[in-house]
Amino acid sequence: MNLERLPNEEKLTLCRKYYFGNVYNVCVWGFAFLPFLWLVNVVWFFKEAFVKPTYTEQLQIKTYVKCSGLGFLLWVAVLTTWITIFQHFRAEWGEVGDYLSFTIPLGIP
Amino acid sequence: MKSHWMCSNMVRCLGDGNTSLQKLATSIVFFFCLSDVSCNSVEQKIYVELNNTVPCVRLLNATHQIGCQSSISGDTGVIHVLESEEDLEWPLSKGPNPPYMVLLESSLFTRSIMMKMKNESNRVAGVAVVVPNTSPPEFSPHTTCPNENTGVYSDNYGPNLAHCNTTVWNPRGNGLSYEEFDFPVFSLKEDNETEFIKQCYLDHNRAVNGSAPQYPLCAMQLFSHMHAVTNTPTCMRRNDINFSINPEMVCDPLGDYNVWGSIRPYNDTVFGHKENESVVIAAARLDSRAFFWEVSTGAEGSVSGFVTLLAAAQALREVTHEAPPTRNILFAFFQGETFDYIGSSRMVYDMENGKFVIDLDNIHSVLEIGQVALHSGNNLFLHSDPVSRRNNTVNDVVREELFSSFFPNVSQPLPPSSLQRFLRAQPIPGIVLADHESAFNNRYYESFYDNAANLNLTYPSDLSPEEQLEFVTHTAESLTDVATVVARALYKQAGGDESRVNTIKADPKIVTQMLYGFLVSSNNSWFQAVMAPELKNILTCVHVLGYLGLHCFVFFCLLEPSPPEYYYLLANLTGAATNLTQSQCQKPDELPNESRQMYSYLWVQGIVPPNSTERDSFCVRASVRLTKAVSPAFELGEYASKDYSTWTESRWKFIKARIFLVASRDLEMLTLGVGVAVLFTSLLVTYFISTKADVLFSSTREPASAAY
Repeated sequence: MNLERLPNEEKLTLCRKYYFGNVYNVCVWGFAFLPFLWLVNVVWFFKEAFVKPTYTEQLQIKTYVKCSGLGFLLWVAVLTTWITIFQHFRAEWGEVGDYLSFTIPLGIP
Repeated sequence: MKSHWMCSNMVRCLGDGNTSLQKLATSIVFFFCLSDVSCNSVEQKIYVELNNTVPCVRLLNATHQIGCQSSISGDTGVIHVLESEEDLEWPLSKGPNPPYMVLLESSLFTRSIMMKMKNESNRVAGVAVVVPNTSPPEFSPHTTCPNENTGVYSDNYGPNLAHCNTTVWNPRGNGLSYEEFDFPVFSLKEDNETEFIKQCYLDHNRAVNGSAPQYPLCAMQLFSHMHAVTNTPTCMRRNDINFSINPEMVCDPLGDYNVWGSIRPYNDTVFGHKENESVVIAAARLDSRAFFWEVSTGAEGSVSGFVTLLAAAQALREVTHEAPPTRNILFAFFQGETFDYIGSSRMVYDMENGKFVIDLDNIHSVLEIGQVALHSGNNLFLHSDPVSRRNNTVNDVVREELFSSFFPNVSQPLPPSSLQRFLRAQPIPGIVLADHESAFNNRYYESFYDNAANLNLTYPSDLSPEEQLEFVTHTAESLTDVATVVARALYKQAGGDESRVNTIKADPKIVTQMLYGFLVSSNNSWFQAVMAPELKNILTCVHVLGYLGLHCFVFFCLLEPSPPEYYYLLANLTGAATNLTQSQCQKPDELPNESRQMYSYLWVQGIVPPNSTERDSFCVRASVRLTKAVSPAFELGEYASKDYSTWTESRWKFIKARIFLVASRDLEMLTLGVGVAVLFTSLLVTYFISTKADVLFSSTREPASAAY
């Protein structure tokens, strides 16, 4: 979808939708894919929020993009920490590690 | 013997590694190859498959894993034929093209070389051992003190006798079978394939005048990826996890069947203690193992023992019908004794918990036949347990045995034997018969060299297989003498008529036929005559017996247990032929005098009479039964048990080996680099062209007129 052709109010609505995660009015999806939706928000609206000359809705769009960016970075930090810990210690955790795993690699501890 | 009742997963059974998808793929390729007359598969031009290889597999117990493991996509290494122990420097430190695949002659397959390679395992991709037809002077990969933690001697019971403090039973043992290697170890026979490998090495891999050998080099790739890791509790836990998409069994407990038979039959549905019943147990073990998977024959280690006991059982058949002894005699053949006494611990557990036809209190005494190969000039020795003999009643019974003139050494413990598991439960008088006074005489204990040659089983060269079957060898004669002695001792011990003891004689013909069948070729006419018809395929597929593993044959997998040869032999030798027809044999309860609870009824093929082609099949009635021989640890779910055997064997997808020529790493990187460069160049060119498209592809047409 080309943002160039949208009027500014619609851009704001879209940004807000992506921020709250209810694109196509499906809240469930938004909740699960929040970090990715937030990433999409940041990448897509970055030019609109910070590069383009000012217009009325730009302040709100800026807020949404900033919050999306922060949220995304938080998610990345949490997920990276958990993934590193799990991959490193899964073998040592023994039983707990096996019950937390979805697939267990064969032939290695 | 192979156990089939564990193979409930048909995918594993249908091909022992070849998944059905691979089979489909190979059949498609085969089809296309057939349609094109000159089929030039690129794969066949690169790789040479090695067919006669035997891998070493991974086994696990409560605390450790032993055996070998390869990576999931095989381990590749440049072949190096080792000439001496000093030559190990080349693969381990000096060679410029690591990792190496070391090819060893069997004389170099020693503990020190294997341990050195284990320590430098980042430079060793794998080991291939060439097994010759002649045996080295001695070789035993087992430990020096077999089954030291699951026997009867411990810190509470004869502490000075535990852990082989007084007698080291297997002094030649180098313990290789119980080491863990993280590279694959395969064994090759000395045949054309091995010559081809050595020739490939000489052509490509030899260093000329001290300079490094030039690429391309000859390399070998070994696949033997094992699924189970760490130890038995871990792999059993992973077997049970079932919420993943694709539940995979990673290991199986070792287990098979024990065979037992008795002079007077027992009702198979009445378990527990039997009043006023006193039983003499005659025991032998059935199994053996080797470093590599399923190549053990255990000629001296186990075959000599159970063949003797089978012959003694046959010798006692007549006299016990005419003049039955006061006590019953129970012949017990235990499976899995190599791996911490699986069979005997299960039978003792069943007796203790009222799941067997008799109780431990019903046992009068135990006579066990150990290794009785009787190499030239050796005598038979008796072993007994000094600790239990301090109990006077036990001591008296032991001294009453026939060999009252041969007193066992009172300061020496029992050798590793099933009797130790009985003693662990309660003090029972028992004797182990063996051909060694202290340490084993067997030079190849639990090794792949413990074969017919180890027993000096030689036949004159001009005999056909049928004549070899009937020929009575020296070994058979000496084992027959032992069987006679055992039978007489059992009869006396069971309180039989003293006057008839000297009429008991074992039959040398039966002994030699059994030795031929178990050590030379199991596809012979006598074995076929005593077995059931549907076992024919089993006899042709396999010729090595003894390893207690889980193996499904390539062609089919029986989901029902297939009774092993020993079961049919014991039934034929101790039972009686009846006049029942085949359908009556399968349903004997309809007849008034027959009862399936008291006897087993087996339909056997019989011999082919001289003037016809049809076999003379008949029904054998015998008081012979199979009982499950799986360690009590798996029944109880105590996978970390210290009292019972916890051995399991890992599963795997496929095992194969192949050789091919490898190019140098530099050439590979260069090829990759050139390819990536071509990719980026083409991307760049495409981008360039697309931006300047209007300039490059400008047409000479006038711009479209405004009307459009």
